[in-house]
Amino acid sequence: MAVEHREPGAELDRQFWIVTALIAIASLAWIAFALAWDITKVLPEAVRPADLIDALFRFLLAASGVVFIVVTTYVVYFSLRYRRRADDPPDAIGIQIHDHHALELWWTIIPTVLLVALGIFSVRIFSGIYLEQPTNGLTVEAIGHQWYFDFRYPGINGVITDEMHLPLGVPVTLHVTSQDVIHSFWIPADRIKADMVPGLINTLHFTPTHPGTYKIICTEFCGTLHSDMNKQIMVVQDDASFKKWYEGWKVKNAHASNALPGTGVSSASVNLAGGSAANGQKLFTSKCIACHGTGAFDAKVVGPGLKNVLHDPAHPQLLNGTPANEDDVAKLIKSGFTGAMGHMPSEAENSLSDKDIADLVAFLNTYK
Amino acid sequence: MAVAVAHDPSSGSGQAHGVDRLYAETRELRINGFLLFMVSDLVLFSSFIFAYLYLRQTGQGWPPPGISRLDVAFAAFNSVVLFGSGATMHFALENWKHGNFNKYAGWMLATIVLGAGFLSGQGYEYWTLYTKFHASWSGAGIFGASFFTLTGMHGFHVFMGICYLTILFLQTVGGVYTKQKYAGLTMGTLYWHFVDIIWVFLFSMFYLWQ
Amino acid sequence: MAVAELHGGGIAEHVHPEPHGFIRKYIFSIDHKIIGLQYMITAFIFLVMGGMLAELIRVQLMSPHGTLVSNDTFDELYSVHGSTMVWLVIIPMLTGAFGNFVFPVQIGARDVAFPWLNMASFWMFPPAGLMLYGSFLMGAPTAGWTEYPPMSLQGAPGTSMWCAAIFLIGVSSTLTGINFLVTLLRMRAPGMTLTRMPLFCWAQLATAPLLMIATTALGAALAALFIERQFGVPFYDPTRGGSPLLWQHMFWFYSHPAVYIMILPAFGMISEIIPTFARKPIFGYRMIAFSSVAIALLGFMVWAHHMFTSGLSPALQLAFMLLTMTIAIPTGIKIFSWVATLWGGKIHFTTAMLFATGFIVTFTIGGLTGVYLAAVPFDLHAHGTYFIVAHLHYVLVGGSLMGIFAGMYFWFPKMTGRFMNETLGKWHFWLFMIGFNGTFIPMHWIGLLGQPRRVATYDPQFWSSNFAASLFSFIMTFAILLFFVNALWSIRRGKPAGHNPWGARTLEWQIPSPMPYYNFKKVPMVFASPYHFSDPLPYRGLEGELDPSVPAPVPAGHH
Repeated sequence: MAVEHREPGAELDRQFWIVTALIAIASLAWIAFALAWDITKVLPEAVRPADLIDALFRFLLAASGVVFIVVTTYVVYFSLRYRRRADDPPDAIGIQIHDHHALELWWTIIPTVLLVALGIFSVRIFSGIYLEQPTNGLTVEAIGHQWYFDFRYPGINGVITDEMHLPLGVPVTLHVTSQDVIHSFWIPADRIKADMVPGLINTLHFTPTHPGTYKIICTEFCGTLHSDMNKQIMVVQDDASFKKWYEGWKVKNAHASNALPGTGVSSASVNLAGGSAANGQKLFTSKCIACHGTGAFDAKVVGPGLKNVLHDPAHPQLLNGTPANEDDVAKLIKSGFTGAMGHMPSEAENSLSDKDIADLVAFLNTYK
Repeated sequence: MAVAVAHDPSSGSGQAHGVDRLYAETRELRINGFLLFMVSDLVLFSSFIFAYLYLRQTGQGWPPPGISRLDVAFAAFNSVVLFGSGATMHFALENWKHGNFNKYAGWMLATIVLGAGFLSGQGYEYWTLYTKFHASWSGAGIFGASFFTLTGMHGFHVFMGICYLTILFLQTVGGVYTKQKYAGLTMGTLYWHFVDIIWVFLFSMFYLWQ
Repeated sequence: MAVAELHGGGIAEHVHPEPHGFIRKYIFSIDHKIIGLQYMITAFIFLVMGGMLAELIRVQLMSPHGTLVSNDTFDELYSVHGSTMVWLVIIPMLTGAFGNFVFPVQIGARDVAFPWLNMASFWMFPPAGLMLYGSFLMGAPTAGWTEYPPMSLQGAPGTSMWCAAIFLIGVSSTLTGINFLVTLLRMRAPGMTLTRMPLFCWAQLATAPLLMIATTALGAALAALFIERQFGVPFYDPTRGGSPLLWQHMFWFYSHPAVYIMILPAFGMISEIIPTFARKPIFGYRMIAFSSVAIALLGFMVWAHHMFTSGLSPALQLAFMLLTMTIAIPTGIKIFSWVATLWGGKIHFTTAMLFATGFIVTFTIGGLTGVYLAAVPFDLHAHGTYFIVAHLHYVLVGGSLMGIFAGMYFWFPKMTGRFMNETLGKWHFWLFMIGFNGTFIPMHWIGLLGQPRRVATYDPQFWSSNFAASLFSFIMTFAILLFFVNALWSIRRGKPAGHNPWGARTLEWQIPSPMPYYNFKKVPMVFASPYHFSDPLPYRGLEGELDPSVPAPVPAGHH
């Protein structure tokens, strides 16, 4: 190694290269272990992006292990090799080198390259989790409470309070929110989690790939019994078993209300005759657009997206639990609603007349 | 960090020189420290402004349901009063530097009066909002949290500024500062302009952008 | 900045009259060294209290259904433990204590720019601590040191007390930051250019703006939480139009830079200790100085990586992920530079050096797991689990606290004129390394397998790892106890050390120990960087410092 200041003894000797070679061998062995290790033996995998995240974990484990081996081995080796000996004069000093530009450049470039690789790898897996998941399957909603989770399925009235069942191989869109404080919905076997934030809907996409039962755990501190908020499970099962469970709940919950708990809804109905969709659109863009997007249900701003609100098979009911038909939409607009997602103003707060409501409903009806 | 007072690098020994130099240096330090204090104060305002923008963006339109639009004309008049006080403060400092004590005193008193005028205007506006729309700090949702918190914080700064300027004025009457040594006045002026500049942002964000 | 070089001496020559009487000298002192020691003693008292809370946590977790304390008490324990360690131990220790004690002397100044302000900053610190512990009387905060609303809005009355206490310590930090920044920029001795400053001063220079700016943002968040809890003004409550995520943004805009407040000064201390004991110039001075500043700047742009699961838009998550990863580059440069400084040295393994070397290894682990967590997909799994607990303790204990111990063994002779006992010190080091790694290594594992943080009871499958962690934590506590015994014993009985026992080359070692009130009889001129061990010392004007016949400087022209 050429050293700028040409200090005596400033050359790397054979011993140094032997240690370096040992580091290289240990690093290769570690990389082989990290890439070959079957993580699912200690932590089972239940869904599709879990395998992607495990791949990223292997990469991190391999790369960081190498950095750790390099740093630690050199620290220990230099500490032993260059320690002051008993026969050194008391004023002995080390080799006076201040810097070495090539070396510094290398140890800036190599970590940068590693990080760029990590960045690219992470972005690919990130898009695999967020953007490339199919969204045409089953939509489920999970609502956090102090201290349990509720689940809602399209077509089942009311909430399901024990377990979340999912059919094998069907893509799942899971919306999570909370009724009280922030919770976090984590299934270790899924490798993903989303915070359940009151007033917000967060969404996870995944596809169950391995049948079994898996724990659901709250990972955001939520009060006295946070430690016990881990008793519920996700069950991944074949289609027939899932149907059986689903139909069972359908019967059981036939007369339940699908409402997220919230303020009552006015019973006064609105005369919807003669509503003008054109006027409704104008009203929508001035009164509603602040909170409601024009995308699908989960394209939330504050409230859900309202595209297809009257005809969405995945959401046959409004958030207040009434059926998604014209009359009940009108009642909801009239009375306003306060639920897990936040507060929707009433007609008075929004200064809407009955005619305005009729126009809005007419617009929403055409808005598919 | 330009040095306002000339230094003679070789004057380390002269006692008279030494004292003067020391004064200039401690003054420099104080003004540096004061500038940094204003930077952190600016961060305090910025944080609440961020909170306001964040709540406004996640909320249901602005002004929120139930709150009327703010009265721009009145606030504009009140802003002119505040900016006017910035100008009078500037004249006060200039006159001090030139040794015109009487003119200085006039401008300084005008600054204090205008500052007090701005505060009364703001008080009137709060009173109107409360009596007409029942808008109070805790009773108007995020409007209270952002509008009353930010303008109230600014008003508190104006109030502190008035107190500070009053103390400075009494100090100048009492002869604490001289034509050459007026670090306190410089800091007072900086602070007063700082409060003006904050108001420019608050005025545009609450009144002009509704 | 050119000013200080121009007029030889200048501000640095200013001498305050020396105070007389115990109270003015040791209680309401304006001397930066006494204030530094006051910070240190207070912070060590809080370290003991925070440590006892930690041990209560570990005892509770020795069995899956621990019955030592109730769930609510457990939540109070870890909330106050975290708040104590961050705000009452590590930040005051690294800035208030070591910052005050060391860097003004290292730049050749007689005090900080605003000594009275410095005293005021210190005297906000003990009341803040008492308020935090006083909150136990009315129900301490339970939502962790992060106090996320709406949980913290439901918290006991002590949560408001917590807000006030942290706000007060925040004001203290902000004022300290202003004070240090002006001191570093305006009060350097003649010839002490920025690039001749010791690296500890560079670390403080990078930290001061963080203290000054980030802490104020925290103040705003705390004020809003306090106002909402006490007066019902809705900032964070979603049912009244507020946003819980607003708190997370404001809190982490402070608390991420705060992570660097807690580590940059420790980096600086390591950068002083390693060259001194390796008898070698620090390798890559400019890169280390530059990387401190780079870390401080980047620190302001990465806060939302604490919020990857909170519901940020994917575009924001990507941006914060990539920005966060870049921080690994300047951090790596520092670590590699320290390793290269060891190469070819004549390393004297004192206890201080052992801690500095151990720091490189343990901090590397904490830094690497930080890169894991920067990757969003991995964070989706690990967020909110014991993996986070392990990571943050590797950074704050394996990094900051190891740095504090290294600094204590290194500067103790300067504080007291006596050595700390080396035998006890080595026992301290090795027991601490065993205890610390044994406590926190298993936490990575149980976190990934499914143990969330902040739980008073847990799944019995994690019993063995938790039990082991608790046992090792007792070893760690015992090691820290050895340190306290050593320090208390050595203050009076330690071997006399003389003014420069380590042959160190920065300015504080060229004057007597303990340092006199005025620091320097004559403010020195500086000619070069301090790290050239083969050259004579690069200072002029220090001849009379150790000579008792040279009179002390006379306070004059005091304003």
